[in-house]
Amino acid sequence: MYGKPMKKYILWTMLAVLTLTACDKVSPAGILIANTDVDDRIKMSRDYYRVHERDLFLFKKAHDGEYTFLVGADSHLTTDPGRMREMLQIGIDDDDLFYAHLGDIADTKAEYYITLDEVITEAKEKYGKKHYKPVTYMDDYDYPHTIYLDTVSQKFYEVKEIPLPFHPVVGNHDITNNGWALWTSLFHSSFYMGYVLVGSDDQGVEYLDRLIFLDSASGTLGEEQIDEIESHFFDNDIQNNANLKIRHTFIFGHTNIFRPSATEFASTFTREETYYLLNKFDQWNASIVFSGHVHAWDEREVGGITYLTLDAMSEDNNPGPGDYLVRVHAKRDGSLSWERVRMNYTPISQ
Amino acid sequence: MMKGIRQWVFVATLVCCLANEGWAQTYNGIHKYDGTHQNVVTSYMMLGDNIICDTYFGVAASYTRHLTDRWHVGGDMQAQMGKQFYSVDVQGGYRLPVKWMDFYLDGKLIYNRYNLWGTNEVMANLSLTWETPYFNFRIGETYIHYHMLHFGYTEPLTLALGAGVNIRPRWDSWNIGLFARNYDDFYYEAYNINWGVNFWANLMKDVQLFGELNLRPAGSLSQLATEYEKSLKLGLKYVW
Repeated sequence: MYGKPMKKYILWTMLAVLTLTACDKVSPAGILIANTDVDDRIKMSRDYYRVHERDLFLFKKAHDGEYTFLVGADSHLTTDPGRMREMLQIGIDDDDLFYAHLGDIADTKAEYYITLDEVITEAKEKYGKKHYKPVTYMDDYDYPHTIYLDTVSQKFYEVKEIPLPFHPVVGNHDITNNGWALWTSLFHSSFYMGYVLVGSDDQGVEYLDRLIFLDSASGTLGEEQIDEIESHFFDNDIQNNANLKIRHTFIFGHTNIFRPSATEFASTFTREETYYLLNKFDQWNASIVFSGHVHAWDEREVGGITYLTLDAMSEDNNPGPGDYLVRVHAKRDGSLSWERVRMNYTPISQ
Repeated sequence: MMKGIRQWVFVATLVCCLANEGWAQTYNGIHKYDGTHQNVVTSYMMLGDNIICDTYFGVAASYTRHLTDRWHVGGDMQAQMGKQFYSVDVQGGYRLPVKWMDFYLDGKLIYNRYNLWGTNEVMANLSLTWETPYFNFRIGETYIHYHMLHFGYTEPLTLALGAGVNIRPRWDSWNIGLFARNYDDFYYEAYNINWGVNFWANLMKDVQLFGELNLRPAGSLSQLATEYEKSLKLGLKYVW
């Protein structure tokens, strides 16, 4: 039916298709067309956020106007959840108000997400024991069952429902090979915001620190997200209320803007989008912009804004102990400081 | 007499193209010196859609002078309305013919103004191009520096890669080709591979119509190429 040259082309095509679909962690065909569209993610995230925004973590209250939070990046969890467990434990031990994770939290296999879910559930239980009152009762089958009472809100939580303040953004490895379905099963929204209530003045003006979580996993924010930003998705609450004032704005995203060194990967944002973002962060009067992706540390100041690119906390990338996390301390007087936080977990194979 | 009329027709077309916006720059691939004409003027109009700026319109103009059959110099200008983007560059190069192939060593210095974001950008590129009748390949390095918000940043050297293929020999009177590259006339990217289709056709002896459909995704090397920009160029080239 086919001539010899045609057979050759068909064989080459089949070989190319096999090669392009055989890779486990990456999707080479994605160089041309993505299998997960950022605009679709934003539509889903926006809808989830609008329904659940009050359940997320709006208006966390800083203790006496002062608080800390912990940031990590690129855990790339597979079978060993050691580093992820360590990050969560550090936050519980040191009473951080919340965690932010900058994406690439796990490689995209169902068993890795099951492991991740187990580690997060374990942390929820520890968090519940520390911050809530455990209440144990005998269930219908006469087994002891523990739930947790938030004595402030008088809400009871099952372990799985404990609102552990763990807030991730999505990274490119989270969504390759259709990983978005796995990621959303745990975290739901890749584009959202929150506030920390830090105090009020004599005039009744409430001061808030604003937390902005962006979906930059595709190396672009995409049209939907840009449109939402330009429609003041992150500003409306504040613009429409004279009694609310922003003190600090913290921005969390996956894709790095700056290149740590000539031997590291450059940003995947286009040149124009880079300039757009730098200007937007300036308009938002951001204090610190966090990113990951490149698995290397970088810090710099641009127009009074601190840009921190975090090294990977992944055991595979950095098996030895190191300062992979960042803790930010927002103080009562409005000043900020940050420090790198050491992780000591070392994989058994090391 | 005919040549004079053609020149005026071409100039009038250029003026029509550029009447609203002034001059701009162009690049439609390296074209081998034809051994006769020392001067090349091109101009194109551009219509595009971008996730940040939505629809935009651009105009470009370019002049190249072949000093000898080996050396050439030139300059380009471009303006994109909607983006408020303005660009000028100067360039020059050397052609080394080897049998049926040509090798080009080209240098280009670009100044870009992204007015929407108050950003000034300077790029310097040095590229080596291998051109055959049906295929071309380019590799180069780019220095990129930008200044905004009282801050200057220099991107460590950025690799430029491009390739194109035509369905007919490059010197034919018309042609259609495919290309993939991480740069365009006025920018060089670290990643983000543009790809598209181009064509050219001789309208008259010294006048050529050319065009290009350029799809510019973002995130190519995150394996998540997502639509960022698409643009259409249509222009004329005149040689004398």
